[in-house]
Parts: sequence; C-alpha cells; structure tokens
Amino acid sequence: MKKITPWLAAGLIGLSSHSFAQTQKYDPQAMAWLCAPCHGTNGREFHESMPALAGLNPDYFIRTMIEFREGQRPTVIMDRVARGFTDAEIEAMATWFAQQPAEQWTPEVKHD
Amino acid sequence: MTKPTLNRRQLIKLFGASAVAASGLLGASSLAYGKDAHHVVVVGGGVGGATFAKYLRFADPHVKITVIEPNENYITCLRTNDVMVGLHTLDELTFSYEVLKNQYAIQFVFDSVTHVDADKKRVTTAKGDTLNYDKLVVSPGIDFRFEDYEGLSEALSETDLPHAYKAGPQTLLLKKQLESMRQGGTFVLSPPAGNFRCPPGPYERASLFAEWMQKHNPSAKVLILDPKNSHSKFGPFRKGWERLYGFGSDNSLIEWVSLNDGGRVTGVDIANKTLKTDGGLVKYDACNIIPNQKAGKIAQTIGLTDASGWCPVNRQTFESSLIPNIYVLGDSSIADEMPKSGNAANTQAKVAAKAIAAALKGEAPGEAIFANVCYSLVGHRYGISISAIYEVRDNQIVAKGKSAGVSPIVESPAQATLEAVYQKNWHRTFVKDVFG
Repeated sequence: MKKITPWLAAGLIGLSSHSFAQTQKYDPQAMAWLCAPCHGTNGREFHESMPALAGLNPDYFIRTMIEFREGQRPTVIMDRVARGFTDAEIEAMATWFAQQPAEQWTPEVKHD
Repeated sequence: MTKPTLNRRQLIKLFGASAVAASGLLGASSLAYGKDAHHVVVVGGGVGGATFAKYLRFADPHVKITVIEPNENYITCLRTNDVMVGLHTLDELTFSYEVLKNQYAIQFVFDSVTHVDADKKRVTTAKGDTLNYDKLVVSPGIDFRFEDYEGLSEALSETDLPHAYKAGPQTLLLKKQLESMRQGGTFVLSPPAGNFRCPPGPYERASLFAEWMQKHNPSAKVLILDPKNSHSKFGPFRKGWERLYGFGSDNSLIEWVSLNDGGRVTGVDIANKTLKTDGGLVKYDACNIIPNQKAGKIAQTIGLTDASGWCPVNRQTFESSLIPNIYVLGDSSIADEMPKSGNAANTQAKVAAKAIAAALKGEAPGEAIFANVCYSLVGHRYGISISAIYEVRDNQIVAKGKSAGVSPIVESPAQATLEAVYQKNWHRTFVKDVFG
C-alpha cells in the first residue's frame, strides 16, 4: 500500500468516518485524467468556471466530493460524477491532484 | 526534417517539476530516437487520435509517435450546431497540431492511409509512403449508410442534402439552407437509427434551429421525423422545448414524430421536396437527413469491423478483437453503454495510451476506467447534460456506481443557465486537453 505523507494524513484526521486506508483497484492517475475535459490537463485549468483541481488541499477535495456524492452540497453535475467513485478512489485522486503544480497548464509552442 | 527533442526545461514545463523528478523522465532529455525505439502510428488526428498521442507521450517519454491525418487543421464536430445559428464561427472551432508537434514531440504526416499489412505491421499512405509500426491506433470517426435511403447519396449530401454531421463545408451549407428557407416553411430533421455519433446532436440541432426561427422566421417549424421511440436526454429536451418553444401546443416550433407514429424516413425526392416515411409522404421546405452510420472507412478497409459495421475491441485496452496490435478508439469502436461522444473518445484514448505504454514495456494493462460528460444546448442560455463514469464488468463497459444520469428537471432557472455556461467552458477546456 502507498504510504500517506504526514501532512496529508494530518489533513484527513477530521474525516474519521471515511477511512483512507481502503484499497482500490485503479491507477490514481488514470482516474484523475478523466477530470481533464472539464478541469484541464492534470487539473491545471485556472481560467474557467469549473475550478482547477491541481494543488487542491486533499482534505477539501475529499470532503467536497463526498458531499456531492451524498447530496449534501448543491451542484449542477458533480453529484452525478461523484456517485461513480468510492471513498478510497476519491482519496487516491485527492492525493494525486495535491501533487500537481497549482499553475495554469500552458505548454509553450516552439518553432524550430 | 529535424528530430523533435525535449530538453529538461521543456520536460518540466510539460510534466511539472515533481513529476519529472519522481518518474525518471529526465532520462528522456533527448528524443533522438534510438534504433530500438518503439513506433506507435496513429491513424486519424481527431479527438481520439490527438488525445491518444498527447497522453502516450505522458505515459512513455521515449516512444516514437506518428499521427497520419489528411487535414493540417482540425475542426471539431463539437459545437457545429452553434455555428449554424451564428453563435460561433467555424474558425473558432479550428485547431492546429503545432503544440502536439513541438511540445510533445509527435510527428505528423498529412496524408491518408490506404492500406495496412497487419502481418508485416506496415501502413501505406495515399502518397505512397510506408511506415512500420509496433502498435497501430485507428480513430477514424464515422462513415454513413446513404444506401439506407432511396434517392440519397454521398454526392447529394455535398450539394442538396447536407448531413452536416462532420464539421466543414456541410456545416455552412446547412446553415445557408436554414437561413434561406421560405417564411412559414417546414424544416424536416431526420436523426439516424441505431448507434450513431453524438446521440443528443440531432435534438440539440432541432432546438437551436427553433430558437433561430423564433427570431428570424417565427411562423416556421422544425419537424423531427425519428426512426426511434426515444432519444438521448429525452426528458430534459422535452421540458426545455415546452419552456422555450411551446412544445406540445398547436403553435409549437418543434414537432416530433416517433417510429411508432411513422417517423422513419426511407427515401427522398429532391425534385418534389418530399420525403418517403413509414407514415406516408411528407413535404419539406428544407431538410436535414442525418444518415445511419458505421465505422470510419479505413476501419472497414483494414477489416476491423464486424457484422454490425462497428469495431469490436478488448474493453480493457481498446485493442481490436479481430486483429492484434491494432487499437480502435472513439466513434468506430464498440463501447457498450458509452455513447459515441468526443468526451468518451478522449477517455478511451487515455486508457489505450496507458495500455500501450504498458504493453511496450512487457507489462500488463491496468484496470480501465472511463467517463463521459456531454452538454447540449436547448437554447443559447439553456443547457442540459448527461454524464457517467464507466468501468468494465463481465467484459462490458457499464456505468460505475450510480453515476449515470441526465440533468434534473428543476423549477429554478439556475441549473439550465449554469449548464449553458459549462457547455462553453467544457469545449474550451476540452480542446486544450486534446490539442494542447
């Protein structure tokens, strides 16, 4: 099992009802890549109405997704999306997005 | 031609400093391909092919990637309905491959594939070039079954009866036909039967045409003659049509005839502007037959299609079930519950990129997971959506958890207004994920 870094574990203490130690079968990156059409490549779209996910506090990511899924937070579409993921899968995505640089994804075009 | 190379700074720009440090990408500081570099050839630079090439570069910094695509610029079929009612121009939907070429070290050959020798793993192009591949990825979109309609042909679709279901000249031709229809005329729209690209597309088109008529031709109407008894986003479309276009009333700008009510179109007579349907002859002033569909031509030529006309694949990898080392992405593939949408193709491409990168290293593929989010406009400020996460169960792609669903019908206008905002947001962000 992947080690959870202390700062991340610290952020999760408040979520005692959701164990982060569960296993899940998907590559976290493969799950996170599904978010790109709305939230940008690697979650790094900072100029649009759908929020960027890169660099997001994992505690916030997990809490928000679970609230969407459980119908506890008003939203337009994220309740439906979140219902596709288990706690463990949400936690794996949270960890992955927290590690992405919190800056706009702008690959620089170079002409040789 | 100079070989594309990525230096350390560019790699960090692409992948992020922590990713470069963590994954050993620094070893790939030069992509002057060694003799034993694997070669992945991609046929078709649309949503599936372009996303695949970009994400294969993420998954494997060393592999040589070549995309073969006839057009130097790509026009997304996504949002072409908006173009026909003047909400956007085709230029705004046109994208180049410069970023993929220069920042992701992907080679482009602007040509079309005419032949594939699957035993020798070799592709031949129209200009006579041959390319050897280790893995071939085919993402050719759709082809039409004009023969299902008496009097219809590919030639006629380019002059009198545009399907406008691939972006380009036909988009503008249908726009002109809408604009030049007589006052009070009937615009007949005939959606396809069976599986087809963008299942809500015909109904979004009907919606936006009705909105255009409200302003420019208020006594006209859109008549949908449907070979089905239901369609994508059925409830949300109906509710939107009631709210915006008087659907169900005598003055409705949209009328819908189902299969059971004789809605199936079987032929067309352009001289008399008449359609032959299960329910008898129907006169039209302007007409848009979106024909039944099958896998893109090159998929048929290579032998990737089955009796259904679509391409069976291993659901975990999107490798063809019929020919090894060839993968089929997007509209041409059989993906069970997943619709034939751009977002679906985008996530299939990411699954295939990981699967191929693993296969080239002799590793087993990971567990596949997919998504679809699709927005449609019922009016320019009224959006609706369908979405789901997908997994593979019993070798079928099915919705995961309780994620599958369409927009709820609520009294507050906020839902529809926000979905119209998100539709635009989605397209801008999506094309960056595909092409940049």
